[in-house]
Amino acid sequence: MRDLSPLPRKRVNAFPLWLAALAALFVVVTRDLEIDFRALAWGAADMGEFLGRFETPDFSRLSRYLMLMGETVAMGLWGTALAFLGAFVIAPFAARNLSPHPLIYRVARELLNFLRAMPDLLFAMLFVAAMGLGPLPGVLAIGMHVTGFLGKVFAENLERVDPGAYEAVRASGAGFLQTVMWAGWPSVLQETVGYTIFILDRNVRMAAILGLVGAGGIGFEIKTTMGLFQYDQAAALVLVVGTTILAIDYLSAWARRKVR
Amino acid sequence: MQSSRPFTDAGMAAMAWPTASGLPSRAVVLGAVGICVVLTAALSMLELGRGGFLASLGRLFEYVGNIIATPDWEYAPTVASKMLETVEMAFLGTALAVVMSLPLGLLAARNSAPHPAVSHTIRAIMTTIRSLPELMWALFFVTAVGLGPLPGVAAIALVSIGYLGKFLAEAIEAVPDAAVEGVVVHGANRMQVRFYALMPQAWPDFIAVTFYVFEHNVRAATVLGIVGAGGIGYDMTMAMRLFRYDRLALILLAIYLAVTILDRLSDRIRARVI
Repeated sequence: MRDLSPLPRKRVNAFPLWLAALAALFVVVTRDLEIDFRALAWGAADMGEFLGRFETPDFSRLSRYLMLMGETVAMGLWGTALAFLGAFVIAPFAARNLSPHPLIYRVARELLNFLRAMPDLLFAMLFVAAMGLGPLPGVLAIGMHVTGFLGKVFAENLERVDPGAYEAVRASGAGFLQTVMWAGWPSVLQETVGYTIFILDRNVRMAAILGLVGAGGIGFEIKTTMGLFQYDQAAALVLVVGTTILAIDYLSAWARRKVR
Repeated sequence: MQSSRPFTDAGMAAMAWPTASGLPSRAVVLGAVGICVVLTAALSMLELGRGGFLASLGRLFEYVGNIIATPDWEYAPTVASKMLETVEMAFLGTALAVVMSLPLGLLAARNSAPHPAVSHTIRAIMTTIRSLPELMWALFFVTAVGLGPLPGVAAIALVSIGYLGKFLAEAIEAVPDAAVEGVVVHGANRMQVRFYALMPQAWPDFIAVTFYVFEHNVRAATVLGIVGAGGIGYDMTMAMRLFRYDRLALILLAIYLAVTILDRLSDRIRARVI
């Protein structure tokens, strides 16, 4: 009996520990921020009153709203196009198995990280301050932030490609550019197109918001009407935005099914 | 993986790029031409003044040059504490959303909802929540409870419930029937099926998504200050209005560092959990 090795220790279930730690952190953070969640209940009446002001949407200037919505969609489209171009150029350098040099790989990765870390609203604020009001700063802001996003996804797709595909093209004497164009992108074409369509959806949504900081589109009109207490018109604008976003949602879902 | 052998799959053949003739396939060319036409049409709606574009770019570079020039290091402790507040807001919002989305996800998943109508209703509510971004909800909450981090936390929590609830519902629906049967043959009732078959299977996916949502929330929290909902965004707006480029530089640096560090950290933890 003595030769028997002792039973393996039963693994400690760490879940309650994690839960307790998180709960404690929650309490500490709530104290630190001096938040009283009961205020939400007290404010409910104010919120109801505020929402009540949007009861009667005024569609008398619908043609102008539709034009603004068109501008917003155009911003989303161009932002996506810019981001796609940026990601198309940077992603091969940020893919470990394609990048011509480890240093270039690191630099490209960090660049994409930086672009991704900065929210597009923040970019938009900077660009509006620098270039003035209008859709251009909005387009650039979406383009820069989403370049980081698409670039990372594309690079990861390129890294997942079967090494044989790259080897085959390299073996026939292809350089970096030729490997990227004839083995890299063709292998990930489907995912690339699918993800770009997916992100277009999000970009139109974001374009509608960017107006809040003055970067063109329908958001600017919403901000102006709210500032002038024209809640009837603001309500109509919000409805136009909501309907368009839903429509684009369905369109993009349909387009992604087609690509797949 | 399907993508690594593009020529064997019939559905892929239409989109395969290097074709036998060496030219891009018709689907790719038509797609590219279509996109160019749409973009050109959209250009006229943007009213980008001709020639104004280059001038604006010049102003942009000048502005960026201003920012890079001189950071005000004495402002650093303030920035650090505001950044901490921002991260704390994201944490609180995410934590609240996780707690609330557990029951909502169970009720929204078709295979665990008590009645199809419940599932449809909750899904519709979550879709509505998701259709507006945090910033819009924050505007509403600021009117209700005033300035400060609370409206920001509430906005983050609300939108996160919309996403987490949806993901949890989808994860529960993806649980294989075998897992449910295994518990049912032991005599489990509907509640026991939920807690011993559905939740344990959906849990890892849910945790993974929670980390992504947290990362997103940190980024969202940095801009909520624009509408007065707490966090570093307010200081950034002020720095811009007062043309304090030296402070702006530090704020941008803080946002970049915080987001990057948290991204890496949550990547690590996620890799261990799954």
